[in-house]
Amino acid sequence: MSKKLTVIPEQCSGCRICELVCAIKHFGVNNPKKSAIRVLTTYPHPVMRMPIVCSQCKVLTCAQVCPVDALRRSDGVVQLNKENCTSCYKCVDACPFGAIYVHEDCDSPIVCDMCGGDPECVKKCPTGALRLIPEAALGEFKRLNNVLSYTQMKEIEFYEKGERKVIHYAEIGKEEL
Amino acid sequence: MSIKSGYFNKHLHVDLTKGTAEHRDLLDTFLEKYIGGRGFGAKLVWDNLKKHDFRVNPLGTENLLVIAPGPLTGVYLPSSGKTSFVAISPATGLYGDSSMGGGFGVELRQTGIDILSITGRAPELSVLFIDNNETTILPMPELKGKSCLEAEGIIKERLGTYAVHVATIGVAGENMVNFACVNADWSRNAGRTGIGAIMGAKNLKAIVVRGHKDLPVYNVSGLMAEANKAYKYMEEHKYFRMWQQEGLMNVIEYANEKGILPAYNFKDTVFAKHDQINGATMLAHYKIGDSACFSCSMCCGNICLVKSGKYTGTIIEGPEYESCAMLGPNLGIDNFAAILSAVRLCDELGIDTISTGNIVGAVIEGYEKGILSLSDLDGREITWGDEEAVLELIQKIADRRGIGDILADGSRRIIEKWPEMDKIILQVKGLEQSAYDCRAGITMGLAYATSDIGAHHTRAWTIAKEIEEGQNWSDEEKVDTVIYHQKLRPLFDMLGVCRLPWIELGLNERHYENFYRCVTGKEASLEQLLELSNDIYDLTRLINTRLGISRKDDSLPYKVWANPPLTGPNVGKVIDQKDFQKLLSLYYQKRGWDENGIPPAGVERKFED
Repeated sequence: MSKKLTVIPEQCSGCRICELVCAIKHFGVNNPKKSAIRVLTTYPHPVMRMPIVCSQCKVLTCAQVCPVDALRRSDGVVQLNKENCTSCYKCVDACPFGAIYVHEDCDSPIVCDMCGGDPECVKKCPTGALRLIPEAALGEFKRLNNVLSYTQMKEIEFYEKGERKVIHYAEIGKEEL
Repeated sequence: MSIKSGYFNKHLHVDLTKGTAEHRDLLDTFLEKYIGGRGFGAKLVWDNLKKHDFRVNPLGTENLLVIAPGPLTGVYLPSSGKTSFVAISPATGLYGDSSMGGGFGVELRQTGIDILSITGRAPELSVLFIDNNETTILPMPELKGKSCLEAEGIIKERLGTYAVHVATIGVAGENMVNFACVNADWSRNAGRTGIGAIMGAKNLKAIVVRGHKDLPVYNVSGLMAEANKAYKYMEEHKYFRMWQQEGLMNVIEYANEKGILPAYNFKDTVFAKHDQINGATMLAHYKIGDSACFSCSMCCGNICLVKSGKYTGTIIEGPEYESCAMLGPNLGIDNFAAILSAVRLCDELGIDTISTGNIVGAVIEGYEKGILSLSDLDGREITWGDEEAVLELIQKIADRRGIGDILADGSRRIIEKWPEMDKIILQVKGLEQSAYDCRAGITMGLAYATSDIGAHHTRAWTIAKEIEEGQNWSDEEKVDTVIYHQKLRPLFDMLGVCRLPWIELGLNERHYENFYRCVTGKEASLEQLLELSNDIYDLTRLINTRLGISRKDDSLPYKVWANPPLTGPNVGKVIDQKDFQKLLSLYYQKRGWDENGIPPAGVERKFED
């Protein structure tokens, strides 16, 4: 699969709809603790709302530590073979992002399966913090946000043939230089 | 048809004196009749009052604090993160409740209970930790004097987990300030009626919850379909984006335009420098992020940071309209950074921004009019727009230092001490008025006068509708509007959901009967649910009348009768006593209460089981 589930934490409001819909889709229950995505909120230093979800890494740290080879990539998505899985939870510790979850009611760890290519969390995210984008477009938002925060956009309003027009141009903040 | 799901049928009762926690079973008949949230709270508070022969000291060990989410709390539907805190209020001595957003109520439900009730007093400052089925009372005297935010951090560190939800009180709660609040998820507050003081009186610094249980829902796919319709409606609404961006701060501009924004302690209802403190200013210079309660797509919360000036580095979740209006224009403050700083201080101290704004405003006006002397103010002058003096006074109230010791007891005590302040301070039954002026709309006056907790807009917020549509309403229509609000808005509190999707985006209230059916499996029309909500209104009235309330208390602040706004679209307007009394009589009649506002003798029987 060439599309990636990406997170734009600056746009996350922390509403946790993603957690709910993930649990409903995979377990049929209203229980945000049974989801493969969680929003971590830190406050006040720093202020951050960060949805944590499987990044579908190219190098599968989780699979490398699996003693029974239950985690494998197929169709570009990490899949957990529940029959093989012994629930040793080594993958939970190994994931660099903590994006594999455990619930006492579930026999095996909760691993994101990208909902077969059409993730429910992306569809229901009300602020656009979760997106499915082509791999090559990764980092675009970060770049844009960085540029915008580095510069300050100025607006000039003018009229051309009676039509109102606005141009934006960047003025580097003088106090920051 | 009876209830099939939607509840855990469990009530956790904690006695802090004895150090015991006991699970009690809830009967289906109870669940059907009282639904949840404030319904549960009112019933338990009523039973407790009867047990103590109607002699309950709000700050005594016998006062029962009930924390109850509703059957819809935490399930997939718009804005389902609400939970109610109910008790006899120290501010009014009457029924009091306050609802809180965020995720605390969801987590509380996930521990597998529908109601948490707390009584007694812990021997030392303690934290109540509900970890799924285990309940422990942890003494943590080292939390004394810590701010809400600091305490939440320390508790999470001590328990070694961030995955808990913590509701704490601040210094104001510990000192039993009559308008102290409970703060959860960093900055979500159960603000009104002094619930924080009750926790302080119980020596309970915080309630920590961690739950993993599935929330019971009868028909998940039905709920999904219904909720998706509601989310879609909201998303397509023309103001949805604006709500996401500005949240409640957009109301500042509206309130100023319509002349209902409190300015200079309600002397005026428009504010000349409104454009320095409105939503657009916040967006342009202060906002750095969004914040939402559980499962809410509107995310009306903001996160603001002051980037320059003497308040640099102040970061808050908020402000929302009430806080900004009461601590800004109402005190003559036009510096948005200073307002943020005041709101942050209130968050840290755990003190209600609405009551604080009212009381500080009244102090400034009282000093201006010569009712309060400089020595009353401990030698520190305070005038309109004096940011530093305001911040200092807020701190003094929380610490109960100097004049703060009297102010901390709320408006009733202030009026006792300085009787002339009765004409200055805006309160009903001892609860200070919300940030919507009612001189422009008599229905809003009726709403404040007949609200069961005092002058708060939570029960009925009719001002916008009256200004826009109701100029030619008959008395009948006016009363009907207030009563309809007083049925519907508390219903949201009973179900455990937020009312903003309905009141602000016009989400059809019919959705809620479907939500209720999908979650509980019980068929109930909106009308039936509203009837149940109405019964609770009778019950809270019953509580209040048994505690001594009657027609004379269903009144309005002096200013509403006598002092018209000085400028703006409503200049010269006041509410006429005669008109109001006529409306009040009609209101009682429609509610089936007698001419003195007392429910009939038979009503009590409805709440026996």
